[in-house]
Amino acid sequence: MLLIACPYCGERAETEFSYGGEAGIARPKDPHALSDEQWADYLFMRKNSRGMHRELWNHAQGCRRWFEVERDTVSYVIKECYEIATPATSRDNQSRAD
Amino acid sequence: MQTNRLDTGGRIDRSKPAGFRFDGRKLQGYTGDTLASALLANGVSIVGRSFKLHRPRGIVGSGAEEPNAIMQIGNGASTCPNLRATQVELYDGLIARTTKGWPGVNYDIAAINDVFGRIFSAGFYYKTFMRPQSLWHVYEKFIRRSAGFGRAPAAADPDKYEHLNAHCDVLIAGGGPAGLAAALAAGRAGARVIIADEQNEFGGNLLATAATLDGAPASDWVQQTTAELSAMDNVTALPRSTVFGYFDSNFLTIAERCTDHLPAIERSGSRERVWRVRAAQVVLAQGAFERPLVFCNNDRPGIMLASAVSTYINRYAVRTGERAVVFTNNDSAYQTAIDLQRAGADVAIVDSRRSSAGATAAIATGIPVLSGHVVVDTVGRKGIKAVRVGRWSGDATQTVDATITIDCDVLAMSGGWSPAVHLQSQAGGRNEWNDELQCFVPGESPQENRVAGSGRGKWSLSDCLEDGLGAGKDAASRSGYTPVDVEAPNVDTEEPASMEPLWRVPASQPPDRCPKQFIDYQNDTSVADVRLAAREGYCNVEHVKRYTALGFGTDQGKLGNINGMAVLAESLGKSIPEVGTTTFRPAYTPVTFGALAGENVGELFDPVRTTALHECHEAAGAPFEVVGQWHRPWYFPQPGEDLHAAVNRECLATRNSLGIMDASTLGKIDVRGPDAVEFLERIYTHNIGKMSVGRCAYGVLLGEDGMLMDDGVMARLGEQRFYLTTTTGGAAAVLSWLELWLQTEWPELDVFLTSLTDQFSTIAVAGPNSRRLLMKIGCDVDLDNAGFPFMSVRDAELAGMPVQLFRVSFSGELAFEINLSSSDAPRMWRTLMQAGEEFGITPYGTETMHVLRAEKGFVIIGQDTDGSVSPVDAGMSWLLSKEKDFLGKRSLSRPDCAREDRKQLVGVLSADGTTVLREGAQLVEDPHARQPVPMCGHVMSSYYSACLGHPIALGLVAGGRSKKGETLYAMQSDGSSTAVKIVSPVFYDPKSERQND
Amino acid sequence: MTDFSRVDLGHINLRGSAEDSRFVDGATKVLGQSLPLAANTLTQSLHRIYWLGPDEWQVVTESDRAADLVRQLEAALAGQHVAINDLSGGQVALQLTGTDVPELLARACTLDLHPSLFGVGDCAQSGLAKTNVLLGCIGETPVYEIIVRRSYSEYLLRWLRQKTHSRAGSVSS
Repeated sequence: MLLIACPYCGERAETEFSYGGEAGIARPKDPHALSDEQWADYLFMRKNSRGMHRELWNHAQGCRRWFEVERDTVSYVIKECYEIATPATSRDNQSRAD
Repeated sequence: MQTNRLDTGGRIDRSKPAGFRFDGRKLQGYTGDTLASALLANGVSIVGRSFKLHRPRGIVGSGAEEPNAIMQIGNGASTCPNLRATQVELYDGLIARTTKGWPGVNYDIAAINDVFGRIFSAGFYYKTFMRPQSLWHVYEKFIRRSAGFGRAPAAADPDKYEHLNAHCDVLIAGGGPAGLAAALAAGRAGARVIIADEQNEFGGNLLATAATLDGAPASDWVQQTTAELSAMDNVTALPRSTVFGYFDSNFLTIAERCTDHLPAIERSGSRERVWRVRAAQVVLAQGAFERPLVFCNNDRPGIMLASAVSTYINRYAVRTGERAVVFTNNDSAYQTAIDLQRAGADVAIVDSRRSSAGATAAIATGIPVLSGHVVVDTVGRKGIKAVRVGRWSGDATQTVDATITIDCDVLAMSGGWSPAVHLQSQAGGRNEWNDELQCFVPGESPQENRVAGSGRGKWSLSDCLEDGLGAGKDAASRSGYTPVDVEAPNVDTEEPASMEPLWRVPASQPPDRCPKQFIDYQNDTSVADVRLAAREGYCNVEHVKRYTALGFGTDQGKLGNINGMAVLAESLGKSIPEVGTTTFRPAYTPVTFGALAGENVGELFDPVRTTALHECHEAAGAPFEVVGQWHRPWYFPQPGEDLHAAVNRECLATRNSLGIMDASTLGKIDVRGPDAVEFLERIYTHNIGKMSVGRCAYGVLLGEDGMLMDDGVMARLGEQRFYLTTTTGGAAAVLSWLELWLQTEWPELDVFLTSLTDQFSTIAVAGPNSRRLLMKIGCDVDLDNAGFPFMSVRDAELAGMPVQLFRVSFSGELAFEINLSSSDAPRMWRTLMQAGEEFGITPYGTETMHVLRAEKGFVIIGQDTDGSVSPVDAGMSWLLSKEKDFLGKRSLSRPDCAREDRKQLVGVLSADGTTVLREGAQLVEDPHARQPVPMCGHVMSSYYSACLGHPIALGLVAGGRSKKGETLYAMQSDGSSTAVKIVSPVFYDPKSERQND
Repeated sequence: MTDFSRVDLGHINLRGSAEDSRFVDGATKVLGQSLPLAANTLTQSLHRIYWLGPDEWQVVTESDRAADLVRQLEAALAGQHVAINDLSGGQVALQLTGTDVPELLARACTLDLHPSLFGVGDCAQSGLAKTNVLLGCIGETPVYEIIVRRSYSEYLLRWLRQKTHSRAGSVSS
């Protein structure tokens, strides 16, 4: 059972969290401008990394915040947990649907 | 008679005899004994039959590694199988039974298997019983009967078990010399320490050694140390506690056996407690296992590990034989020879090495030593009578001829030591082969831990103590404490510790011709089996394990693992590190299901959610249906009614006059903020901006794959405020889904989401008289169609209580949903029931709700959909906005979603007008078509409709909307079929006039 | 020994930005005490205010004051991006007293409740016996407050009764 450091509440047992899959997948700005292949790529294709993996977790039993975790998928060692909005995530802010 | 009991010594209490039964025999031992030591004291030599060949077997070890003495302990519902007699503490009244052999271990009919032993080679089951496959169910019955150790109790477990979450700075697994030293160092530094040891007393090997510390018996230091530890507030010392699992982020599980060592009448409280420990730092001090030696007939009762022979003498005052041979490839077994001699046995030593420091010392004490010799074979079917010894060339490719026979009744063997790397492996650590030590030692670990003592090849006692202190200090300082100086006690006589590898003794015949040379006693895996596996192409150690069963069962790589790897390496022409070890997984030793389940049984098995009206429903005698964790009233039977009678009555009453239902389990979400409209537009499929305040809309949300995810009613309470309902089962998932998008993708939107599921109770009143009922109890808003049309919401005061009143309908009738504080809900329910009497108000449950909505063709997400149904499939295209994007919209134009022959929602009527179809029944065009019959759809919801007077069903049928009027066949579970007609899914009031009444 | 009882209190959920002084000052003025801004802490004075997250608080007060407070907060914070929800009907408060309480809770809660780490003024949202709870240490001895969703409260009370072999807490609504 992992010990996950919620960026807001601190270290808590894995049972307090739910998993959200790979992080950093920005929603395309205009889905309807994409080909079926490009849309399928966004929808289905994941890195499935062996080694360091950026993923989303939700502190479901705590503050209900989503955040990012960098975790080694081989050793399960967590390198870092951080808020979604921090610059470290360098998320694609152009990817809004509006 | 305790014929093998020594008059003095040991840690048994001779003033407290303990009577016990072994396979019905009445025997006696002492408090302080294990079942194994008591059996040996009584001269019991055969304790089991081997797994496959049914050879008589005796006790080999003195701890977790014991392969043969697997016992069933206790009677009735509390009986426990699979216990190692070496780990069962003796108490007065203990009942033990052997678990293999019929009719008994002394005379076992299946021992005939041994005669045909050559047939029962590796992969025997795979090769023999696979063909013809149709007969497997016959074979299986016999194989199952002859497999396994012991029996699970048939009755419910009467005992209590508990779990306890714990946190510490330093967890120490193992309370031998290294573990105790580590605990002392960490404890004195002030760290929060938990030290656990599987035995009844701390001390480990210090309780079984003749060595002295600071001039006193080693057990004195143990006593002193444990006394100091138990006086420390920051130290929790757990005896009888096995660290059985090492998981991620230093999370370890400990099984503490609280009462199993006590006579039945003295037991109280929980039988076992599982500690779930989160440790900042871990010290693994589990020690090492002695390795057996591999030679012909090395499994006869009386052949034991040398360390076990010493343990029985020193700790339990049991001398397991009078004429002993010690067979070794290392120095540690010399102490056993000395222990045996001191206990009055005749001893001879056979040492594969040509010379050693140990031999020099032994010869000085008068013990004869045959250096450069090995035991080739043994004599004695039900107990060892003699060993046959030959000269050892040092080369395993050259056979050894037996030239000397030595009579004996016990053979103590030592093939060196293997660190118990199990927990370190579970932690994700690597094991590395150490050529000097000739064993795997723990290597790098991804977790915050360290191994101390013989668990990493520190064989001498002084090294173990020093190593433990170092580990304890390191662990304490890494968890933020300042280590203090702790001095290790002085070990008075230091034992030499050299060894030369000896993996197998080659007999004069090849392994598949000579008598069995066992590697794994419990699974009857021999040298010949491993070599056969290698010859047949198995070169991966994990595959060889599964093919030969090496290390299966309770063994899990404790006893025969390294010998097996070495034999495999030799067969493959590789080195041992190239072959590697198998993976060690939890549990380290077997754990009972009771302990794992803990308190999560009976009424605490799963959380139960009840609505504020639960007591009203209980009083009405409603049975409950479990929906998620909710307990919802299923139906409200009147005297003499079954489910169907009650549901028919409830349906008719609602359609004809007035029904009332508790819909409080619906998920409810408050959505507020300047960007609420924009946010909801992106999530839901309909146009939200066009909704005016006070209006409601039916809304669905899709996954990005375009499939239906959830549905509910959306009410606009203000310009920037909405109230959403979700399905009962989808409440948490929808809120989490909304938060996901809000927080990760659209953080610029100012919206707050708050769950109101528990705050509000929802009471639905449905039927032509529902408006009259609300008017009767006093409502401050206009309820007629003009003032309060269908799909509207109002803040109202109803019967003096503040409510949010919805004019929505899940039954197709004129209906209202009253949302109000759960504190007021019971009063409202009672008021409505009382006022509704004149209309024959009828409470209804989930079953009637299902029938009423199915009559209207309303789907239930999760029942009529399965994650592969799009809104188009479900006939909801009218809900999909063309003017905006929303989650999942793009997917609806993917080629697969646009197919005409996707499964579509239809109504299904049985052609005979009477058969209620089975939910889940497959629909086919021709039931007599050649198999496999192409399936074109299935039935999802199926009921008898009392209002229509015939059964109805909803189905998903490929291209179903264009198949209306066609006949298909529903397959029944007995293989027969029923003709059905495909119709519109709306069976009742197709123009939906009643809800607008 | 552990004593526990069900306490009839008012519950208000408050959302707003901790970084927005207009909101923090407005709320503080109405509530008459400061919002706890540090994670996992609570303030106690006229009411108990729990930190739930970076933009979320729970106000626990006397049961007959909740509705009034909601109205006052709504008035004081009108026009701001906030959410104020009266959850008095949707939550149940239990109070547990006794030196054994941390160990009792450890039977089914993964938090480290060692007195040196979880003292008066500390709080956390976590799981207890597989239900979501808000847990706060509100007095020496210690006294703990557990706030649970109403629908789970009967189940949690059953768990507590089984663990303490007590019939306590059975307050009917």
